[in-house]
Amino acid sequence: MTRLTIDRRGLVLAGLAIAAAPHAPALAQKRKELVLAFIPQENPEKLQGDIKVISAWLAKEIGVPVRGFVGSDHAAAVEALRNGDADISFMGALPYVIANAQTGAIAVLAEVYRGSPTYTGRIFVRRDGAIEKLADLKGKAIAFADPISESGYLYPLDIFVENGLLQRGEDPKRFFGKVYFAGGYQQAMQAMQAGLVDAAGVSQYADLLLTPVQQPQVKWIAESKPIPSHVVIARKDLDPTLKAKFVAAMLKLNEPQNVALLKHVYSPDGYVEADPKSFDGVRELAKAYGLMK
Amino acid sequence: MVRRRFLAWMGIVLVAALGQGAPARADIGVETPWHPAAAAYRSMMFLGDLKPVVWDQIGAAYEHPHPAAAVSRPAKIYFESLKGEAATAMVKAIAAKDRQALYETATRATSQLTRQTLAEATASLAAPGKAHQKVLEAQALYRSFGEFIDQADPEAGRRLGRAWLELTSSAGSQGVLGIGAVAPELEVFAGARKAIEEYLAANFEPERFTVREGLTPLPESVVAAQGEVKVKPWLPPGSNLNNQDPLPKLVLNFEEREIKETDLPLVAYGDMLFDSPLIFGEPARSLGLACSSCHNRSDVNQTFFIPGISHQKGAIDTRGSFFNPLFNDRRRGSLDIPSLRGLRFTAPYGRDGRFGSLRDFTRNVIVSEFAGNEPTPFMLDALVAYMLEFDFLPNDKLDKRGGLTEKASASAVRGAKLFRKPFPQMDGKACATCHIPSANFLDRQAHDIGSARPSYEGGRDGAFDTPTLLGAKFTAPYFHDGSLPTLASVVDWFNDRYKLKLRKSELADLTAYLETIGDANEPYQKFEGRKTKFRLNWEELTTFASTFETLLPKRDAKHADLMLETVATDLAADASGMTNAAAKPKVYEVAGYLSDTRKAIVADDWAAAEKSWARFKEFQAKYDEEMY
Repeated sequence: MTRLTIDRRGLVLAGLAIAAAPHAPALAQKRKELVLAFIPQENPEKLQGDIKVISAWLAKEIGVPVRGFVGSDHAAAVEALRNGDADISFMGALPYVIANAQTGAIAVLAEVYRGSPTYTGRIFVRRDGAIEKLADLKGKAIAFADPISESGYLYPLDIFVENGLLQRGEDPKRFFGKVYFAGGYQQAMQAMQAGLVDAAGVSQYADLLLTPVQQPQVKWIAESKPIPSHVVIARKDLDPTLKAKFVAAMLKLNEPQNVALLKHVYSPDGYVEADPKSFDGVRELAKAYGLMK
Repeated sequence: MVRRRFLAWMGIVLVAALGQGAPARADIGVETPWHPAAAAYRSMMFLGDLKPVVWDQIGAAYEHPHPAAAVSRPAKIYFESLKGEAATAMVKAIAAKDRQALYETATRATSQLTRQTLAEATASLAAPGKAHQKVLEAQALYRSFGEFIDQADPEAGRRLGRAWLELTSSAGSQGVLGIGAVAPELEVFAGARKAIEEYLAANFEPERFTVREGLTPLPESVVAAQGEVKVKPWLPPGSNLNNQDPLPKLVLNFEEREIKETDLPLVAYGDMLFDSPLIFGEPARSLGLACSSCHNRSDVNQTFFIPGISHQKGAIDTRGSFFNPLFNDRRRGSLDIPSLRGLRFTAPYGRDGRFGSLRDFTRNVIVSEFAGNEPTPFMLDALVAYMLEFDFLPNDKLDKRGGLTEKASASAVRGAKLFRKPFPQMDGKACATCHIPSANFLDRQAHDIGSARPSYEGGRDGAFDTPTLLGAKFTAPYFHDGSLPTLASVVDWFNDRYKLKLRKSELADLTAYLETIGDANEPYQKFEGRKTKFRLNWEELTTFASTFETLLPKRDAKHADLMLETVATDLAADASGMTNAAAKPKVYEVAGYLSDTRKAIVADDWAAAEKSWARFKEFQAKYDEEMY
């Protein structure tokens, strides 16, 4: 649950989202079409429009009908992959490793931002404050985004573990005076910028969620290991030929004449083929924090 | 060189953040989508403060989906969900055109809605995912008041800010894929909810409100004790002062002649002023509005929009109550923003040509329209010197006398003949009579062509200055009020209005001609590799700063102060759009040297100013390669 798009759309006004009915299509093991399961976002009308555009383009590229639907949440999308009602879905690295463990779904593509399929979590503080290093945060208040976010909690928290200030799995309140989950990157950053908390543990790009005038008022003092970006995943038993065609088509989105279409699939800068090993760190962390066995 | 301004109010975030930082769009600010009811409430309060009040738009804000809302659902659906008469009372207040009643009913209803949503969150605590969503929805409603509480009652703002953190943290989490669920902390949740609800009820739902002069939602306890305290100027949801994308290409005469702007300090200072909100008064100054906000890169900012002040995108009423109440002409005269390309050939100025002098026009904009202090003669000289450098976009389909070259299409060539053909229905005039090809397609006169109704019986105020047609392909919409969306629609309008009886093919040819003479070889600024928008801004801002070399020997504190504040502020803010994000702290460092220089000047310590200035120059050069 790390992607800014999802977090922002899914958390900031999640209660407002007109939950698109989870119309999982009819059982489709033998269907001659590719079905994409999307996760709901803040603007359902836009998502429906995006699905139409990208499905039509993919159908033309792959040579089979392509259809998309919006599941009610990650669980619905993963369930659709498990029972064959969907072939492809889009999600963050943490839900993916859990989905992989639960259903055998495989990451086929990784999103690229700023030239990289990974990003990091950072600890941000006020530039004019007294916090210069991680140890200065002992007994202080920190805001994370969400307890099930890799860049909005697990990876930033693990920075303190790497620096010997916490043990993995230990209650973070043994180090911090107060731990908040602000509900999103922007809320965590705004709370820190306003001085309500001493630090924010969020995605490396979260400072961009402050106004340009506020951004110079904050700085980051520590950075996590790389976190895999969001991925495109395929169900375990998807026909290899169809899967290969889908991957090839998606990689064509990197070509200059097609890049405009990327805004219809959550707006990455591009895609690369997913490297299965890149998720080992997420798995390790998910296990350490009790999210996986 | 003209650059864009950043918005400076809360709630504006960067598009880059939506996609973990897409560099090409990193400097475009967009609003975080609003809760529909909060969007409507803020809009109604803003529109209710304009004089005359824009009641039709207030009604629309209540009735129809708000364009700045997260979901396309009318606010009234939410307000009607409240128990009692809250929604009906709002409707009555709007129908009665009663400002105080509007403030009271809408404020009560929005506060009640926030509290109702918190109650729903409490009722959902057994299902943490839903409770969490409801808390976030309540927080989105609280946004209606939040920034005003923070400013007017800072202690309460901090207390409530922490309460919201307690709420989001204690509501629990549903985990992901059935794993990692967190149970709610009921006591913490209840305590935080109580703190928020008590404040809302006391300050936004009191039994009696103090009678308000303005409709900014200030806490009642503050107003009762201290009156209507000042808060930062704010704009309604859906406002957009950001640059258009793609960015227009700026053609400056001196640059085309390969003269460096750093060698033209008067022009460079004028360039800085064109981009500085500090020449304006409040509220424009705090909102970051500058000349370049509307006339970005000498062109038209077609995305500029302020509800109630712009009747459509790319338009503004500069003579309403908002920017300068003293100058309020009470006419709701929102006009299409004109391009300033080729400005030295397009006098007189103003849509009806009311100013013969660019200097007079500029002073009027600063002092009368945007409530600025009287500019110094140096400032006016500089602004005029800079604006006189604006050239038209080169167009290789046109020769220097306004004739078509061999690159024009056959259709355009046929259209050129029609353009020059006199029509008896137009008093024997041709299009070219007013839009003289050899005179940059204008005649420097105002004509009443029937594009506007007289504003009163017998009025003769429907004449407008003939606009140039150069670059017109990129300045849609057309006419003084932007009522015609395309050049084809302009041709159709003349055909209908003057009964020219042109055939379909002739209409197409005339349109082709207009599109040809209005074309450009390179209408937009190109960015690639390290030639980023930030690089452009860096070069512009350091050029502005170079004027200090002229101001320093003269010990010109006034003009140095203005320039240094403008450049230091913008440089730091512009860093948010950097592709090379790792170098952001270096930009802040360099901006800091400019701030230090300014502080020294304000303290009349010119020796210290020279030292800080030297450090600025040293590090500007040292970091230059990383600035993209």
